[in-house]
Amino acid sequence: MLLAIDTSAGTSVALAAADPASPGGYRVRAERGTPDTMRHAEVIGAMIRDCLVDAGIPASEVTAVVAGMGPGPFTGLRVGIAAARAFALGRSIPVLPVVSHDAVAFDAFPDPSSAAAGAPPERVVVVTDARRRELYWSVYHAPSADGIPIRVDGPRLSAPDGVPHDLRRIDATVIPAGSLGVLAGRMRDRGDRFAAGDALYLRSPDVTPSRGQKRVTS
Amino acid sequence: MSWVFRRATPQDLDGIMVIESEVFVSDAWSANAMGAELASPHAYYLVVVDSERPDDVVAYAGLLAPEGAGEADVQTIAVAPSARRRGLGRALMLSLVTEARKRGAREVFLEVRADNPNAETLYRALGFEHIATRPHYYQPDDVDALVMRLAVPDRVTEWATALPTGAEGEAAPEPLETSEAVATREPLVLGIETSCDETGVGIVRGTTLLANTISSSMDEHARFGGVVPEIAARAHLEALEPTLHAALDEAGVTLGDIDAIAVTSGPGLAGALMVGVGAAKALAVALDRPLYAVNHLVGHVGADLLRADGTPGDDLALPTIALLVSGGHTSLLLVRDLVSDVELLGETIDDAAGEAFDKVARVLGLPYPGGPEIDRAAADGDPRAIRFPRGLTLPKDLARHRYDFSFSGLKTAVARWVEARADAGEPVPTADVAASFREAVVDVLIGKAVAACVDHGIPRLLLGGGVIANARLRAVAEERCAAAGIALRIPALSLCTDNGAMIAAVAAQLIRGGHAPSGLDFGADSTLPVTEISPR
Repeated sequence: MLLAIDTSAGTSVALAAADPASPGGYRVRAERGTPDTMRHAEVIGAMIRDCLVDAGIPASEVTAVVAGMGPGPFTGLRVGIAAARAFALGRSIPVLPVVSHDAVAFDAFPDPSSAAAGAPPERVVVVTDARRRELYWSVYHAPSADGIPIRVDGPRLSAPDGVPHDLRRIDATVIPAGSLGVLAGRMRDRGDRFAAGDALYLRSPDVTPSRGQKRVTS
Repeated sequence: MSWVFRRATPQDLDGIMVIESEVFVSDAWSANAMGAELASPHAYYLVVVDSERPDDVVAYAGLLAPEGAGEADVQTIAVAPSARRRGLGRALMLSLVTEARKRGAREVFLEVRADNPNAETLYRALGFEHIATRPHYYQPDDVDALVMRLAVPDRVTEWATALPTGAEGEAAPEPLETSEAVATREPLVLGIETSCDETGVGIVRGTTLLANTISSSMDEHARFGGVVPEIAARAHLEALEPTLHAALDEAGVTLGDIDAIAVTSGPGLAGALMVGVGAAKALAVALDRPLYAVNHLVGHVGADLLRADGTPGDDLALPTIALLVSGGHTSLLLVRDLVSDVELLGETIDDAAGEAFDKVARVLGLPYPGGPEIDRAAADGDPRAIRFPRGLTLPKDLARHRYDFSFSGLKTAVARWVEARADAGEPVPTADVAASFREAVVDVLIGKAVAACVDHGIPRLLLGGGVIANARLRAVAEERCAAAGIALRIPALSLCTDNGAMIAAVAAQLIRGGHAPSGLDFGADSTLPVTEISPR
C-alpha cells in the first residue's frame, strides 16, 4: 500500500494499492485533496488520517510513501515533503520521491492497455503556477506500452512566453495524489530510478547579502 | 495529606456511588449493580482515600479477572473532580494491571468513551492499544466505545518499580502505599521545534530530559546579517530527519516507545513552523499517538522543568514572572499555571532584544550573530561611558507601556553616535560603545522584569531565550533580584535557546494535567498569542 502526498500546488493525499485486477496493476483506494494553497499545514494530518480511515487500513499497512517533490513556489511544498519523510520514518518504510508534474502527465495520456486508447498526442507540456508571473513546466513524450510518460524536458522555471507553445498544454492547479501513487507503484515495479530527494524550488532564496550598514544620519 | 490505596469493602459503596453518579451522570451504574460487583469473587476493587479522612472515597477502580480466564477487564475507574491531576487514575490502573498479572491474565481489556480523549491518552501511555470500536455503545448519549487492549508486561519491566508495592498484599483493606504510589510511569514525549533557525528535537519522560538535539542554520544566515526565513525553512526540511534520528539515538528509545508527539505551532516564522507542524502531524498519524501543539513562548518557560544533566526536574515554583529574550521575542509573562494560565504583561513594540544586538554589531563592524560579539567587545569597555536612551522608561511611556520594550530607538542612537564620531575623524571606542549599549538593553530588561515582580507581589523571576547567554544580563539579573528579594531561575543555556525538549516538557505537563491532545487540525500561527498554550 502506497501513501502519496503532494503539496506543491494545493494539498492532495491518496492511498494506492497493488491490484492485479486493475489495468496497470494499481488501484486508488482513497484520495483527499483541496486546491487551497494557504492551508497545507492545517489539512495535511487529517487528510492522511482520513485516507487511512476511508480505505479501512491501519498505518502499519503502508509500505512506502510517495512524495511529490515539486516544482512548487509556495512554502507549502515543504509541508508535504516533511510529512512524507516523517510518516516514512515513523513506519520505517522508504520515501519514493516523484516530480509532481509526472502525475499530471500520467493522467494526460490514455492508458495504452485500454481499448479506448486511440492515437494519443505525441507530446504534452505540463504547466503549473510559479507565482511572480512565472511558470513551471515539463515536457513529456507519449508513453510506450507500460503507460509511463517520458519526461524529455523540465521541470523548468520561466516567464510565460518561455513555455513551449507548439505542444498540447495542460495547466494544472491540482496534483492528483492518486495518480502520483499509481505512477510510483508502476515505476517501482519497473525498477525505475526515482527523483532526487531534494525539494524542487527551482529558485534561490529571495535575499542578497547585506552591503554593510546604512547611515542613519544624513 | 497523603493518599491511601486499599481494597474496597461493602462499607465503601455509598462513597463510591457519590462519585459514580457525579462522574458518569447518564450511564452510571445502580447501587445494586455496584454492590454486586464489590462482592464478586472474580472482581478486584480498589479505593483511594485521604489518610486524614479514611472513610471518604476520592477514587476507585475495578477489575474483573476470573482465575484461569487468562484475560481481565477494567470494569470502571473514576476519580472525584476534587482529587484529579494527582496521578491517582494512573496509579489505580497500574495496581489493576498488577492484580491481573497475579491472576494469570495475559491481556487486559477496557472500553473508553470515544469522547474522552484524556482517558484514552492515559491508557495509551500505559501501553493500551486501540483494537476496535463499538458504534453507539454508550446510550443515551449515542457515543462510540473504543476497545483497548494491553498485553500484560512481565513483572520485571520498568513498571515494577513504579507500582504501588502494597498491591502485592493479599489482606484487605490493607493500605497499599501513599506518596510513592502516585509517582508512576511518566509519559515519554518527543518534541519538535522549528519556529526560527534551529531545528530542535527533544525527548523527555515527564520532567526528565533524555535528549536535546539541535541543528542550527545560523551559519547560513551569517552573511545576510540576520535570519532569512526562506533559508531557515529550507534548512528545517533537510535537518528534520537526521535530527530526529540523532535524538532517538541519544535517548536510547525507538519511535514505537514514544507516548505522545509535541510540536511548536507558533509564534515564529510561518514557513519554518509549517515544516515542523507537517512532520509532527504525519508522525502522529503514522505512530497512532496523540499530538500536542505547544506555544513556543510557553515552551521557554517549560524549559525550567528540565535539568541538562538528565536528572528529574522540579515542579515550577508558581506563580512566577518570566522574561523571555531572544532574536525573535522580548516578552514579559505572568505565569500562574504552565498549562492553563499564562498572561502576557508586555513585549517589544519594535525590535526584539537579540535583533538589536545584531544591528548594533553591524554598526560596529562586528559579525553576526551580534550577541556574543557585543559581549566580547564590551568586556574591556565602560558601561557608563555613554548614556544611551532606555526605551519606554519615561513616566509618560510607563503609563501606557509599563512592561513593554522598545529597542529601535536605542539602535538608532548608537548608530548616530558612532557616525558623529567617525564624521569628526575621531576613532570609535568600540569597547565603550558595546558596553554602554549592552548596559542600556540589560538595564531596561531587568528593570522592567523586577518591576513586574514587585508590582504583582511575586518574588520569582524566570529567564529564558537565547539572549540569556549574555553574561552581563545574567549578572545584573542576579544582582537586582538578590537586592529585591526575588528568587531567580535560569535554566541551563542549552535549554534557554530554542529546543524541542522544552516543547516536549510542556506537553508532558499537559498530559499529566489531563488536557486533551490538540488533534490534527491546528495550523502554524506566526503570531500565536501566549494565552493559547496548546491550540486545537
